[in-house]
Amino acid sequence: MNGLFPNALHVARREYITRVRGRAFVITTILLGIAVIALTMLPTILALVGANDPPEIAVSVEADDVSTDPVVALQALLVAGANPAAGEGGEASPAPEPTAEGPTVTRTDDPGAAAQSVRDGRLDGLLTITRTEDGDLAFTYLSDAGPTNQTRILVTQAATALTIGDRLEQAGVSAGDSAQIFAPPDFTAEAADPNARDEDEFGGAFILAYAVVILTFMAILTYGNWVAQSVAEEKSGRVMELLITAASPRQLLTGKVLGAGGAGLTQYLAIVAAVVIGLAAQGPVSSALGVSGSSQPFQMPTLDPLTPLAFAAFFLLGFILYATLYAAAGSMVSRIEDVQQAVGPLIFLAMAGYFAAFAGLNDPNADWVRLLSLVPFFSPYLMPARMLLSSPAPAEILGAIALLAVTVVGAMWIASRIYSAGVLLYGQRVGIRSVLRATRVAR
Amino acid sequence: MSLVVDSITKRFGEIVALDGASFTVEPGRIFGLLGANGAGKTTSMRIVLDILRPDAGRVTWQGTENTELPRRTWGYLPEERGLYPKMRVGDQLRFFASLYGIPDAEVRAEIDDWLERFRIPDYRDRRVEELSKGNQQKIQFIAAILHDPDVLIMDEPFTGLDPVNVRLLKEAFLEMKQRGKTLIFSTHQMETVEELCESIAIVDAGRVVVSGAVRDVKRDMGRQVVRLATEGDGNGVGWLTDLPGVTVTAEREDYVELRVPSDRDPATILRTAVDRGEKVTLFEIAEPSLEEIFVEHVGHRAVDEEEEHLAMTGREATA
Repeated sequence: MNGLFPNALHVARREYITRVRGRAFVITTILLGIAVIALTMLPTILALVGANDPPEIAVSVEADDVSTDPVVALQALLVAGANPAAGEGGEASPAPEPTAEGPTVTRTDDPGAAAQSVRDGRLDGLLTITRTEDGDLAFTYLSDAGPTNQTRILVTQAATALTIGDRLEQAGVSAGDSAQIFAPPDFTAEAADPNARDEDEFGGAFILAYAVVILTFMAILTYGNWVAQSVAEEKSGRVMELLITAASPRQLLTGKVLGAGGAGLTQYLAIVAAVVIGLAAQGPVSSALGVSGSSQPFQMPTLDPLTPLAFAAFFLLGFILYATLYAAAGSMVSRIEDVQQAVGPLIFLAMAGYFAAFAGLNDPNADWVRLLSLVPFFSPYLMPARMLLSSPAPAEILGAIALLAVTVVGAMWIASRIYSAGVLLYGQRVGIRSVLRATRVAR
Repeated sequence: MSLVVDSITKRFGEIVALDGASFTVEPGRIFGLLGANGAGKTTSMRIVLDILRPDAGRVTWQGTENTELPRRTWGYLPEERGLYPKMRVGDQLRFFASLYGIPDAEVRAEIDDWLERFRIPDYRDRRVEELSKGNQQKIQFIAAILHDPDVLIMDEPFTGLDPVNVRLLKEAFLEMKQRGKTLIFSTHQMETVEELCESIAIVDAGRVVVSGAVRDVKRDMGRQVVRLATEGDGNGVGWLTDLPGVTVTAEREDYVELRVPSDRDPATILRTAVDRGEKVTLFEIAEPSLEEIFVEHVGHRAVDEEEEHLAMTGREATA
């Protein structure tokens, strides 16, 4: 009769059904779903409102002896800047064709009219190229753009290239030689670690690592809080005495964590479904609306098939560890208003892991990251991040999971003792000391 | 084989809630646990239910330690009533039954039967928060018995009920007794105890000051109560106090109440009165009421404490 099941399942089922049917759950899930779909649709929405309008720049060349056509050079750089993928690889890529959607650079012979167009907002900028008295090129860029504006930065780069080419020519370097000079270096970055992630995937892996850390943190904070809240509700509503007579603290605790966790997972899955729907629908919606929008935010890194399994293990065990302690914290307060105070130390612990993970993302091989990624309260954040950005040994991963699992069992034991003592103590504030004293004789 | 509470002691920090309390409840009986608030009734009940562990002492039911018994041995109606406010009555009752391992199908008819008995048959699909306090209390009683427990433990089951519901609950008590169940309940209301209980224990400051069958407890008081009324103004009650061992405990408008030691024959009082030429209109030999017994043992009335308790709820939980 002291087995965990089926009573834990009865408790979990009740918790899950009550939670999922609750108005708060339905509303937040719908709102989050809408927000997430809106986010995936952002490129389409931006294209629709014209925020992605390609820049239009006029060039007025008053120095007529420039050998390289500044209009072509500027066009090439702006197009390359708008689609960075096209310019990478080091090989001589074919000159990008100016498309209707790409940036356009036109030569103007009437700088006055062009300047007026810029002021009216019909043009994004006017670049005037003159030659100074000492023979160097001088550039004036008229626009509303601030120093961080992407187009302005590209224009500045183009000006630098044009000036250097011009100076080389004046120094007597032939056009062919200067092409040689401008050719990118033969540079290869070699990973010391043979299992290191492919360079091309690193960006995607980085974003995924962030996502894993943030999702784990949010789950612990939000759904852990549900558990504490729900325990405190049962205690302040005095249902607790009936429950504790009918079932053991361990059954109640496990059921609570499973029920609230299951409801949280349901919400997560609904949101993930919204992301998938949003990403899938974004392309068709964009073309239906006749706008372009990038539907591929980043390249998914290739993962070992076992990796998602390990992620799931870290996520679930990490959540259960925190949620169990949240339940114990909830059992210590008499009033629902005091829950936040009781879970404070846990929030602090969860935040510490979260920030450590963020710091660790930048240096996944540092000794302290390796160490912390094995420590139970931090491993749910740090080990998945390391698995994405670095290549921890399988023994490290399994060791972290084993340590986490052992800690979960220990936390269950401690939490059910705190719980069985805490749920019967009522008072203005039940301190950790009075609970600990009570646990000595708890069943 | 009975329920034996054997010298249990329980401390909460500085407070000694129970100090070697012992009592025995015969199976199939209705047992009253009497005591002022803070005397240790709730703590005793929680220890019997094994939701609290005593510092010393043990509890056995039919020879088995309570820590070894299945949970469904017990049915419990806590003093602080509490149900899930948002849950429907039927769902709620089935949930608690499921925790005791009773399948849904088995309790459905039982639930309807009890709702009928308590005259609230339409409430099965209502949310608990929509019910009055009294009706919630009846639901809670049903929750305590659905799993067919051997021993039913109830903390102040009658407080907060109107007279009609008190009667319904008393009927339910007798029904449970007829089914062979053992019932233990605590109360302040001595009339209820006189009416229902075969045995009692009076608890004061963590100790059981007296316990046993009501009849024996009364007899062991070592005295009898005599009510006497005579016609006319009478010659005062002075002559009564001259009788050896007799004390006047109350002078009412129409009679006087006397206390007589049990080794004296009350008939001597009547004989003396007749000899004196008094016209006796009432002569009654009664046993002391539980109220008197309680006051004698505890030093004050139980109910006075109740008003005080209302002002400082929560003390019972820690004591």
